[in-house]
Amino acid sequence: MGLLLVTPFTLLFLAFLIAPLCYAFWLSLRTSTLVGGDHFSWFANYKQAFTDPQFLSGVRRVVLFGLVQIPVMLALALVGALIIDEVTSRLAKVFRMTLFMPYAVPAVIGALMWGFLYSPTFGPVNSISNALGLGSVNLLSHNLMLTSLGNIVTWQWTGYNMIVLYAALQGLPREVYEAAKLDGAGQIQTALRIKIPMVSSALVLTLMFTIIGTLQFFTEPRVLEPTASSVISPDYTPNLYAYNLAFQYSEFNYSAAISFALGAVVFIGSYIFLFLTRRRSGLK
Amino acid sequence: MSTSRQHPIGGSRRVARRQPRLLRGAFVAASAALAGVLVAACGSGGSGGGSGSGAAGGGPVHIKVWAWYPDFKQVVDQFNKTHKDVQVDWVQAGVGQDEYTKLKTALKAGQGAPDVVMLEFQELPTIQLTKGLLDIGKYGANDDKKNYVPWAWNQVSDGDHVYAIPVDGGPMAMLYREDIFKKYKLKVPTTWDEYKQEAAKLHAADPKAYMTDFGSDESAAGWLQGLMWQAGSRPYTYSASKLPNIGVKTNDDGAKKVYDYWGDLVKNKLVDTASYATTDFYNGLSSGKYATYLAAGWGPGYLQSVAKKTGGLWRAAPLPQWTAGGNAQGDWGGSTFAVTSQTKNPKQATEVARELFGTSEAAWKIGIDQAYLFPLATPILNGSYFQDKKYEFFGGQQVNKIFGPAANNIGTFDWSPFQDYAYNTQTSEVGKALQGQTPWSSVADNIQQQVAGYASKQGFKVSQ
Repeated sequence: MGLLLVTPFTLLFLAFLIAPLCYAFWLSLRTSTLVGGDHFSWFANYKQAFTDPQFLSGVRRVVLFGLVQIPVMLALALVGALIIDEVTSRLAKVFRMTLFMPYAVPAVIGALMWGFLYSPTFGPVNSISNALGLGSVNLLSHNLMLTSLGNIVTWQWTGYNMIVLYAALQGLPREVYEAAKLDGAGQIQTALRIKIPMVSSALVLTLMFTIIGTLQFFTEPRVLEPTASSVISPDYTPNLYAYNLAFQYSEFNYSAAISFALGAVVFIGSYIFLFLTRRRSGLK
Repeated sequence: MSTSRQHPIGGSRRVARRQPRLLRGAFVAASAALAGVLVAACGSGGSGGGSGSGAAGGGPVHIKVWAWYPDFKQVVDQFNKTHKDVQVDWVQAGVGQDEYTKLKTALKAGQGAPDVVMLEFQELPTIQLTKGLLDIGKYGANDDKKNYVPWAWNQVSDGDHVYAIPVDGGPMAMLYREDIFKKYKLKVPTTWDEYKQEAAKLHAADPKAYMTDFGSDESAAGWLQGLMWQAGSRPYTYSASKLPNIGVKTNDDGAKKVYDYWGDLVKNKLVDTASYATTDFYNGLSSGKYATYLAAGWGPGYLQSVAKKTGGLWRAAPLPQWTAGGNAQGDWGGSTFAVTSQTKNPKQATEVARELFGTSEAAWKIGIDQAYLFPLATPILNGSYFQDKKYEFFGGQQVNKIFGPAANNIGTFDWSPFQDYAYNTQTSEVGKALQGQTPWSSVADNIQQQVAGYASKQGFKVSQ
């Protein structure tokens, strides 16, 4: 009976995840060229991927991006969660909603909106800096692009992560706080020594999701590309590169290999991360 | 990127790239990898055939057409009214790259492609190479050769093989703001040297004004290629019947001349460098920030739609020349109708491709007035309706008297069968130079190295 109940899920799972994965893997083991025909080439595409400067520079770029953006975003989310957990006025509700709202805006719309805000001619950022006599800053230039993208992603996801952490905080037993208070702990000490350690498994979870999301960075650079195409190259992130390889350069096989290579990086990265944090994550 | 609206320009890479990005970003982003794989997975060995069924029990044959011209419905109605045995079912399958992505997926899957598809010139060899296009020479298309300007026919055919019927083109000319030229006492430049001098004069008189915008995005790739075409650059030597041979020389003298020239203007800040597909650019066109717009034949209509409030202020003049008194021209954009290899009714599909516009004056009046197409069919191109048409937006000027002769003086040109790769590489390398990461003088050589490398990897026998 139980088996019967999971059948619909299993069928969909096989049809829409496992089968395409197998097909993509099979594709990635072949090499088909525009005029040279199609042949089985074993792991040649993978070998090429891990020596391809375009792929590797994309990986380096998202790793660098993640190293800065992830801590900033999670710190903001954690602080936000601790604040709304502490404050129980009506204001907390408004605050919670406001921070969460960007998450409700589709990533494409968000990125597009920021594209306008960053615009050298129309953007309020530039109007303000010009009004203050600071001259104009090109937020879409090569030097500032990663920062500008980081801002978009942070804006979009902080609220989401905050809600996850807030939910974890809400689940903590209140008696512990009483005890801490009796022992003389102030609010900050309670937060640092009691609350944060107790929600560490939620922190690991959000961190995990964020790392996976960052490695697959695609939508924001994709949407800003037309506005700043001299900065965002077709290989700007590994995912963008895989997309362009398949749909612009007709290199479906190599694109499949890049996608799998990226998948492997994500999988191994997550595994190591979970292994290292297994005590905190509650997964041991 | 564009957002949503249908633009009034006939086939041009620029249009192609303009709006649809967003949409592309949107869904494709979400579903690309998975969907592509799925489609490919499910589709192998499909039965082929667009929607062209029809006909078994009498009644007209229905031919499915993908096209993105504005107001194309009127052209279709016109066709359906005048044909009894063939009827056109029109689908707007996206502009430019959007449509190509769908088409390539359908071709790879073996089913789902339309009978007739609108393709830009530079995309033809790419689709033809994957055996996606039918040789319609067999169905009488060769009879149309006499109706088209030679360079255009040359791009759709290979000897007696015909892979598409040309529709519109984009001969280039210079559109300029007469009021700004008067205000700063600028002379209408006839050579590129003069163009640069006037640019310096304008920028000195008003630091907020620029002679024009040097677009660096993909929608400007065809623009730059058109200017190199004029400068004599012929980056590829390619013919489908001589596979796997291809000549690749994206760093020839013409190309280098153009990169050096514009690199110099950019370095001296005499031109703006906003991407073509942005509101900043549209705003520049309508606010008087740009004094000229180096446009294609569909440009007057395009300009009219993005810079409405400047009506009456613009004029057209021939494209500046490299040598005084010269008459070299280039093309930017243009579209064709091709018949896909999946059609079940090749004869009728060919008829549709040939006659949707063809030399039909009724269809062309719609094309010219509503869709801003620049006709490549000589009876229309050189006919009085088109040549004598006055444009209010250009102060009543007969702008086609400028674009017309340009269209007749364009040299032949081969596109590569991997033009998307070539354009993307060009865009990235130009981008790096704009950002100051590489010197302008190395742009052409870098592109050559990458494109030639790609071609060899794809199995071509490359001569450089």
